[in-house]
Amino acid sequence: MMPDNWGYVVGAYGVAAVALYGYWRHLCRRARALGRNRRSRA
Amino acid sequence: MNATRILGWLAAAGLVAGLAAGFGYAPREAVQGNVQRIMYLHVPAVLTAYLAFGLVLVGSVGYLATRRPGWDRLAAAAAEIGVLFTGVTIASGSIWGKPTWGVWWTWDARLTSTAVLFCVYVGYLLLRAMAEDPEARARYAAVVGILGAVNIPIVHFSVKWWRALHQPSTILGPEPSPIAQPILTALAVNAVGFGLLFLYFLARRIEIARLEEDRDHRSALSFGSGAGRLEEEAR
Repeated sequence: MMPDNWGYVVGAYGVAAVALYGYWRHLCRRARALGRNRRSRA
Repeated sequence: MNATRILGWLAAAGLVAGLAAGFGYAPREAVQGNVQRIMYLHVPAVLTAYLAFGLVLVGSVGYLATRRPGWDRLAAAAAEIGVLFTGVTIASGSIWGKPTWGVWWTWDARLTSTAVLFCVYVGYLLLRAMAEDPEARARYAAVVGILGAVNIPIVHFSVKWWRALHQPSTILGPEPSPIAQPILTALAVNAVGFGLLFLYFLARRIEIARLEEDRDHRSALSFGSGAGRLEEEAR
């Protein structure tokens, strides 16, 4: 049987969390900037 | 609370349920030990990427058939999110590969075809970023979106068609799945969580694309009226 290798498990979930959270923040920032732009034009 | 926000909360709940299922409910795998728990991230990520690129195909065909910008927005949003989930698939697979295969990367048929899939859709996004005319951008992107979808079955069946280090399909294979029920259940919960997250990202990304088009349209109108004023002043 293989050893548990928890470090790899944490690494894989950590990379995924950073990527998905980063993309979510990116969408939030873009939406906020566009909302500001729209309000300033109105 | 609007529908997108509700979808966001459902996705968050789905991901938490997925983590609980993957780390609490599913047992330790007999051969690989706990490192196998990466599967609850890796497999739902690639299934979500397939779904995303399938929607790029639908959006691309829809756009070429109707020329409605809504189809193009769907394809563009799905492609961006598909690239994100393919990236997560490749990264998690590479991290899983090191303890199980002894290497971070090998030019195996499944890994190579997934890397090609990733590059094709990164190319799709670059093409969209480079084309300036919205109509031409949507048309060119739709053609690439349709051609790019050819890669999805190649990735999926690569483990059957070529001798590969990667294990054959156990979920979407022709035979009944040999996976133990608790592991399959944990995988299904994670797949639902990822699916909800995909829908949430898609809804937000489409809304952003709509706002960007609105902004570009307004700035084109104000530029046009500004140019008209200058012409009148010149006369």
